[in-house]
Formats: sequence, C-alpha cells, structure tokens
Amino acid sequence: MGTNMILLVEDNPDDEALTLRALQKNNIINEVVVARDGVEALDFLFGTGVYAGRDLALMPEVILLDINLPKINGLEVLEKIRANERTRLLPVVILTTSNEEQDKIKSYSLGANSFIRKPVDFQQFSEAIRQLGVYWLVLNQGPPLVKG
Amino acid sequence: MGPESQGFASQSRHHYWKMALMALGVTCAVAVGLYQLAHLYVLNEAERNIQAVLLAHKGMHRYIQEVMHPTFYKLKAEGLVAEKFYAPEILSSSFVVRNQHKAYNEERKAAGLEEVYYKMAALNPRNPVNKADAAEEKLIRMFNENKELKNYREVVQIGGKDYLHVAMPFLVNTPKCLKCHGNRADSPPGLQLLYSGEGGFNEKVGDIRAIESIRAPMEHQYFFLYILFASSFAGLLVLAGLLFLNTRLRDMVRVRTQALAQEVVERRRAEEEVRKANEILEDKVQERTAQIAAANKELDSFAYSVSHDLRAPLRGIDGFSLALLEDYGEALDATAKDYLGRIRAGCVRMGDLIDDMLQLSRVSRGAIHREAVDLSAMASEIAADLQRATPERRVVFEIAPEITVFGDAILLRAVLDNLLGNAWKFTAKTEGAQITFGRQEEGGKEVLFVRDNGAGFDMAYAGKMFTAFQRLHTPQEFEGTGIGLATVQRIIHRHGGSIRAEGEVGQGATFYFSV
Repeated sequence: MGTNMILLVEDNPDDEALTLRALQKNNIINEVVVARDGVEALDFLFGTGVYAGRDLALMPEVILLDINLPKINGLEVLEKIRANERTRLLPVVILTTSNEEQDKIKSYSLGANSFIRKPVDFQQFSEAIRQLGVYWLVLNQGPPLVKG
Repeated sequence: MGPESQGFASQSRHHYWKMALMALGVTCAVAVGLYQLAHLYVLNEAERNIQAVLLAHKGMHRYIQEVMHPTFYKLKAEGLVAEKFYAPEILSSSFVVRNQHKAYNEERKAAGLEEVYYKMAALNPRNPVNKADAAEEKLIRMFNENKELKNYREVVQIGGKDYLHVAMPFLVNTPKCLKCHGNRADSPPGLQLLYSGEGGFNEKVGDIRAIESIRAPMEHQYFFLYILFASSFAGLLVLAGLLFLNTRLRDMVRVRTQALAQEVVERRRAEEEVRKANEILEDKVQERTAQIAAANKELDSFAYSVSHDLRAPLRGIDGFSLALLEDYGEALDATAKDYLGRIRAGCVRMGDLIDDMLQLSRVSRGAIHREAVDLSAMASEIAADLQRATPERRVVFEIAPEITVFGDAILLRAVLDNLLGNAWKFTAKTEGAQITFGRQEEGGKEVLFVRDNGAGFDMAYAGKMFTAFQRLHTPQEFEGTGIGLATVQRIIHRHGGSIRAEGEVGQGATFYFSV
C-alpha cells in the first residue's frame, strides 16, 4: 500500500529547489518531504523529535539521500535506516555531488540501492531525476510495509 | 699500507738487522768455545792414544828388566851363559823397545797410517840414538826438578806440521840400576867391552835417567776436529737460524695480529657509524613518510571537498540560469538569452575542469595494482565508445593485436581514454581520419604509440603539452581542459615509463609511450 511519498534529504537549498523543480518539470507530483539534515531525516523515519507522534504507517516510496549533510552525514543515516526493523527495506538512492570511489564502496556496503551523481548541467540533472522517478516510483515494486 | 705501518715495517727491519747481528755474534762466541772444547777433546783423545803406546812400551821395558834380566843373570850364575856374553838385541830394553817401535811404525805405514816418532830420550845415553834433543833435555831436567810431575803434553811444529808431543818420566835410578849404569869400571866386563866411552855410566840413584818421548802427527786428529767443529757449527748455525726465524715469525704474527685487531676495531667503528647513519636515515624516512602521509590525507580531503563544494554552486548557477530561460524566456531579449547561455556553458566547462583536476589528483594518489592488461582490447572498447557517442563521424581505427602490458588497469584505461579521445577530437575536421594504436622497437625496447592524422601541433611546444592547463588550441578550435595529457604523463611516470609527442601542424600527432 504505497503512499507514493518521496523523502528528499538535502541540506543545500539550491539543490533542494532544483530537485523539486526537476520533479515538477517531469510531472512527478508525488508528495515530497524534505529533511535538511541527517537528524531530521531520522526523526521523520522513526517518528522522533519534531516528527514525534507521526503515523509511522506512512513510509516513503524512495529516499533520495545526499552524503554531505550537517550533524549526521548521509552514510550514517543510511546505516541507521538499515539497522532499524521498520525502515531497513526502504529503497535508498544516494544522490550526491561526490564521485569518490570510497563513497561508492561505503554506500553500497551499507545497503544503498542506487548511487547517482548530480551532474552540473541542469538539463542532465533534470533527466536523471526524471528517470529516477520513472524507475523508483513507477517501475519498481517497493517492499511490503513492515507493521509495527 | 698506510704511512704508519710503513714506518713500523722499516723500524722492524732495523730491529731484525740488530737481532740477526746479535744472533751471529752469540753464535760465533759459542763457536769459539765449541772449537776450544773440540780441540781439547781431540788433544785428550790423541794423548790417550799415545799414552797407550807408551804404556805398552813401558810394559815391554819392565818385562825385559824384571823377567828377562833375572833369568839371564841366573843362567850366567849357573854357567849356562858365558861370563862375557852381552847382546843388546836381547838384553837392552831400550834397544828392544826402540826396534820394536821401528817395526810398529813399519806396520803402521803398511796399514796407511802416519808414523809415530818415539824415543827413549836420555841426557847421557849409551847409544847416541837415544840422545835427547834440546826439547827433550829440557823436559828431563824439568821432570828431575819436579818429581811430582808425571806427564807432559804440548803441540809442537815439525816441518810445518802440528804434532802432539807427549812425554813421561821413564826411569828413576835405583841401586840395582847402578850395576850397569854406575862407574864404568864396576860394570860387567861384557858391557864395558861393548860400549866404549862414558855413555850410560855415572848415573846417580833417584835421578830420572830417561824419559819416554813420543810425537804423533795431529793431521788426522785435526781432520777429525774440523769435521766435529764444522758439523757442530753448522748445527749451531741452523739452530740460530731457526731461532731467528722463529722470533721473526712470531714478530710477524704479532704485528699481523695487531694490524688485524686494529682493522677489526676500525671495521666495528665503521659498522657502528653506518648503523647510526642508517638509524638517522630511517628516522628521517619515517618522519618524511609520516609527513607525506599527512599531506596525502590533506590532499584527499581537499579533493573531496573540491568535488563536493565546488560543484554544488555550479549546479545552482546552471540550474537557475535555465530556470530563468524557461520561466521568463519571453521577458528576455536575445542578448540576455545569449548571456545566460554563456553562463551555462561556463558552468559546464568549470564542471569538466573540476572533474579533470580530480582525476589528475586521483592518479597521483593510491597504490598501483599491477596486472596483465590487454591494451588492444581496451583500445578497441574505447574506439567503439567514441564511435557510439558520435555515430556520424567516419574514422578508421587501426589497432595492433595482442598488446599486453603489466600495469594498473584503471590508470591505463585513463591513459588510452585520453590519448584516443584526443586523437578522436583532433581529427574532427580531417577528411579520411585515421587513428592508429600500435607498437614498435626503439633501442631494443618496445614502445607503444597512438597516432592520428589530425590537426597536429608545432614541435616547438611539444614540451609544454604535458603541463597541466597548457593548451595548444583555443576552445573555439578544439575543446579541452588542458589536464588530460598531464594526467597521462603522471600515470606513465608512476608506472616507471616515459612519454613523448611528435607532430606537425596539419599533419597529425603521434604519442609514444612505454610502461
């Protein structure tokens, strides 16, 4: 029972705006929850902090996760997602500026489902977002919701 | 040999001269003593031999006088011998012994031995043959003056030859002797008849009437002496030589041992110094390694932040420029749209620059993982990729088969990507473009090359091509960041190889490299 919600974890407001614009441009009208650092992302997923009392039955269809984040970085967030029974099966797409081999290795080791590098050219970026939406929101069959 | 040991050698040579002279002196002194000893021994030996002869003679004298004379007088008394009978051949002991010695000498001569002079010398002999010569007269007087003296020995020269002269008192007159040697008138008439004159008469009791005098040649004895001395001396010399040699050898061993000990000490010191120097070097290497590691780590985080933080704003600039164009395009005139287009082109170019810089920094870091890499296959893949990206271009690729090297596959891929990519790029405006990847021999070594017939370059700038950000073409002619060849050169150098470029404007370029 998909909610078709997207969790975008992004600290850069420009990138946030551009990502949202790209989604919109590609007619992806799913609800987008934006978390601006790692802590906020985990609060949302685990119903803690500012998201205390949230209905945890609603889980994102896909999580777009940046690596370079304040407080808790993306890789740590990924580790916690995979460690939690309720969130461990959620599809996580690493969306980052990094092209470092180490980041790719760590991401996949921690259980990332995909690793996408943000291109500088917005048209290319937009195309990437479009394909990402088509794949994860339309083609991909998400995991069954974990009851808790 | 150092000057110190040379000085030591000359000093030790001097030392050996002194020692040799000393040894020779001692040897000569000992030899003189040895000669004296041998001489004495030879004399004693000779004297003993002579004495043996003398004693034999004496025995004969006694037999005649003590056995034959009483028998003779008894026979005379019995009338068996005529009163007047006297024959010195039978009754004179000196006659008998003298002639017996004569016969003895004849026998010696026959046996090849020297004759031995013998005389029963007396001051007043009956027979002039027995008359003492001057030396013997002296001896008779000497023995008479000193009755204790029983023996005399002297080496004398006769006819230029050495003789041992031995004498001993023979007869001391007793009253019985005076029967024949007292007054002539009282002596037996036969004797008086036989000997005229006073010879052999008028002796006194207690006087030594005669001596036995004998002279034996020393030649044979000397020969014995020489042999004895010479062999002893030779033995002595050999012994001295051996002693000297032994001392010398010992000295040599001592000197060598000292030199060796010195050398050992010096070697130990040198080893210690080398060890210390090594320790210092090792410390320095460790220090530098730590510094380099720290610098590398810093470089890593720098590259990382460049990758993240420099690209993010670029994406913003590009994204919002496009947003402007898309959302407010109608409000902008052609110039504004052109400016925005330039802003976006700049962003893309800067993004490429950042990526290339990152690659350049990345090839300098990290270890090289060497393995067998099929460069021919790799080149074919790249050629196919290039063709796929721009399908409208017609380029003939010529790739030599089975070029395999031992190197890092990822880094070598970057090399071929760059070189073939460049060749592709610079033949964009060439009719009948051709790109070759091959190999050739250069001074016994295999050299690989990537050749194209594209834009080429001026050889005057060949050296600058491999410097980062150095470009030989304007962006309008050919795009590029100017970092690719710097990256290629760095990879080749990290593999221990070399790279050079040859070309001519309008005639294409060739990049030769070895891994």
